[in-house]
Amino acid sequence: MARTQSKVVKAAPAQHRTLLPQGLVERLLSAAMERGADFAEVYVERNETTAVTLEEQQVKSAQAGLSQGVGVRVISGARVGYAYSDDLDDEALFRAARTAAFIAQGGGSERPFPVSRTPLPTFYRLEKHLADVAVADKRELVVRANKAAHAYDKRVKQVLATYADSTKRILIANTRGHLAEDTQDLCRLSTMVVAEGKGGERRTGFYGGGGRVPFTHFDTFTPEMVAREAARQALASMGAADAEAGQQTVVLAPGWSGILLHEAVGHGLEADFIRKGTSLFAGKLGQKVASELVTVIDDGTMANARGSLNVDDEGHPTQFKVLIERGVLKGYMSDSLNAQLMGTKSTGSGRRESFKHLPMPRMTNTYLAPGEDTPEDIVRGVDKGVYCANFGGGQVDITNGNFVFEVSEAYEIKKGRLGRPLKGVTLIGVGPEALKNVTRVGNDPMPDPGMGTCGKDGQSVPVGVGLPTVRIDNMTVGGTKVGGRR
Amino acid sequence: MSGYEALAKKLVQKAVKRGATQAEVFLQVGRQADVRVRDGEIEDLTQATSKGAGLRVFVRGRLGFAWTSDFDATTLDAFVDRAIALAQASAPNPLNGLPEKKDLGRFPDVGALYDPEVASLPPDWKIQASVEMEKIVRAYDTRIKTIDSVGAGENVHEVYLANSAGAHGAWQGTSVYLYASPVATDGEQLQTSSWYDAKRFFEDLETPEEVAKKAAQRAVRLLGAKKVKSQKVPVIFDPTMAAGFVASIAAAANGDAVYKKASFLASRLGQRIAPEWITIVDDGLKARGLGTSPFDGEGVPTRRTAIVEGGVLKHFLYDAFTARKAKTRSTGNASRGYRSLPGIGTNNLYLEPGTKRPEEIIREVPNGFYVTAMLGHGANTVTGEYSRGANGLWIENGQLTRPVQEVTVAGNLIDMLQQLDAVGSDLTFHGSTGAPTIRFKELTVSGE
Repeated sequence: MARTQSKVVKAAPAQHRTLLPQGLVERLLSAAMERGADFAEVYVERNETTAVTLEEQQVKSAQAGLSQGVGVRVISGARVGYAYSDDLDDEALFRAARTAAFIAQGGGSERPFPVSRTPLPTFYRLEKHLADVAVADKRELVVRANKAAHAYDKRVKQVLATYADSTKRILIANTRGHLAEDTQDLCRLSTMVVAEGKGGERRTGFYGGGGRVPFTHFDTFTPEMVAREAARQALASMGAADAEAGQQTVVLAPGWSGILLHEAVGHGLEADFIRKGTSLFAGKLGQKVASELVTVIDDGTMANARGSLNVDDEGHPTQFKVLIERGVLKGYMSDSLNAQLMGTKSTGSGRRESFKHLPMPRMTNTYLAPGEDTPEDIVRGVDKGVYCANFGGGQVDITNGNFVFEVSEAYEIKKGRLGRPLKGVTLIGVGPEALKNVTRVGNDPMPDPGMGTCGKDGQSVPVGVGLPTVRIDNMTVGGTKVGGRR
Repeated sequence: MSGYEALAKKLVQKAVKRGATQAEVFLQVGRQADVRVRDGEIEDLTQATSKGAGLRVFVRGRLGFAWTSDFDATTLDAFVDRAIALAQASAPNPLNGLPEKKDLGRFPDVGALYDPEVASLPPDWKIQASVEMEKIVRAYDTRIKTIDSVGAGENVHEVYLANSAGAHGAWQGTSVYLYASPVATDGEQLQTSSWYDAKRFFEDLETPEEVAKKAAQRAVRLLGAKKVKSQKVPVIFDPTMAAGFVASIAAAANGDAVYKKASFLASRLGQRIAPEWITIVDDGLKARGLGTSPFDGEGVPTRRTAIVEGGVLKHFLYDAFTARKAKTRSTGNASRGYRSLPGIGTNNLYLEPGTKRPEEIIREVPNGFYVTAMLGHGANTVTGEYSRGANGLWIENGQLTRPVQEVTVAGNLIDMLQQLDAVGSDLTFHGSTGAPTIRFKELTVSGE
């Protein structure tokens, strides 16, 4: 599906064609300020997506999408006006600017708002954009994943393999004189496997990954690796026993378990919840909120990571931020509006799903810093508990801190050793309490394959997660079997 | 009708001319506005227009799909070619194609879906309604100290469909909504809850006062919530939680999951799976329903389909492709936006109400759990395993007593269906899914 343009003009990288001429952007800012607001911003986006889906041994569909549009935001005091349009003709653009301006009530006058380009770091610049990679090559990935999953074991009955990518170009300009443009490529290959065992028992496995990586990433992170891991997970829980409900010691496997940190802690540290007083971490800066083994970091600057950004969706550089240091709350993640209202500074955490959405504070790549124990020692130290090898999904109520995680692959721990697989395991807790009950943190690496997508207020953004092996005491495990104890 | 219908037809013709064996365009146009308030002032006000078209082509059995929100003439030209080129990357499948001619048929009369009052609401109504809700929420109880969000909005949407089998249609609808999520605190705990109402017609919408009071009550009564000991007890889901349970059952009646045997209901068609007073319906014709439309995402007329009737599993839900695989007919359940291929979804899904009042259902429980909020997705369609985090109120001697949090409710959907022992008279629609209060004879509640 190579774009005709890239065939003809080889050396015309997407980021050098501007989305909107600078003069027009400046005139839009003026129009947005005509009722005398404090701030105006123009966000332009052009997003090209491709997806190839394979199921029932066949490439079912190949699809491509193009969305483009502009969002104009005007801020007057604490009031925000927002208008967006997917037409980019002058009339639609100025209508959006004036609609957003409606929020301000002053008289204001037409004055110029010149902008100049902000140089950006390059955490993920790709030589060849994903939109320019032939669709036949993308198709090949799902075909190989399907083959490898079926070859893994006869019990593999169904394979759903999906490759999806996007090449998103954005332009952000505001009345503080900044203009930034970025091209953000993102891809993910994923495989879902359904295996059937004795007596028709059906188990599923899921694995995938990618990031802001060149297409050659899949030369080393191969479709075969992805498929085999999904198949392994499906088979691992065959014949699993029902988990015992109640309080238990749990050990989280490294890597994807970071989703627990993301949900149970990360969201509560986003500045909008803090400002409104709806997070239970509000007003606790400098206080001890976790075990001293716990250091939590949000880092938007990791090379090629799924959650990284050269610039956030408000034009600010992303940062390496320590949120919790040895158990003490050090900082929040903020966009510019919440920072201004709270008298702090943006941490480059303003993100939005698209031009159709207002930016808000979001995570980038969030992880727990490694500790000192070896993963083997951590498991060896547990007399009775549950080893959580893989997670399905989770959800958190920011306000009361309640979180829930579905553990898709779990094992019993008995006298320091992994035992039989368990099914139907759900972890439930209150974020800060779970953090206080962290009693061991591993020194192992925490590979993030790059498959996380975070939803908040109906907006989805790609994120990275990470966690070394961690032991948490007194965690409530949900199951169908009520234990005899207690 | 309008220029968009003509555009949809033109794109179909162009696709056929460029080599598509069959082609279909699904086009959406809309405008929407939403406001949130805080401290009696606008927090944010969003207004927008949007549009987009999805083109599905079949080239000798191969499927290609492209969508665009850019209707510029040159973009549209390239877009048709791109869809056709993409078809080359997919495998030929004899089951691919538009719905059968006999399935495309005449569209039913679904009544009015468009409310001129919603379409012409002054911008101020949203602000006034929201300010009123915030005031009521804050006045409800001194322990309500802040709000997460309080807001209102409306939208007007148009759908156009045309395909190379000669089917074409258009409809327009409106929707209007109010929402409130207050936060209550007792100095130690923070608790939130939310309530919203969404309707096609302004006169059907709950008043700002109703929405605000329900939201406030649901948040305040959770203050002081604690874990309970793990135990097996009767469990009641309020109508909003029951609607989620019904949606899990409908997900397992998805014809695609059934065909792939990825549903615990796959082998149970025609069997009694629930008490005889359980009937679960997907009704695409429900008067003024938020999920009502004359035709589905591929132009098949919508209808009423009983998934479970009198406790017996009667029908699965199909789109054209899956129906062909399963050697049956589409049930008009192809659901989509212009950015996606049709997939199976529900229109207006609900559990038919019983005769017991919700108070009675609670009163009959000596020791049990009344669930008002849940966390996590929880239901596994393949195995039927169900486990979700739950908040609510404990029932003692038929009375709602202390608030509960940090527990899970678990079971297996197939057992849960059989465990149903009461259905309330209070059918409540939350969006396009509805249910009354339901009670399970016994489920596992895991806490301490």
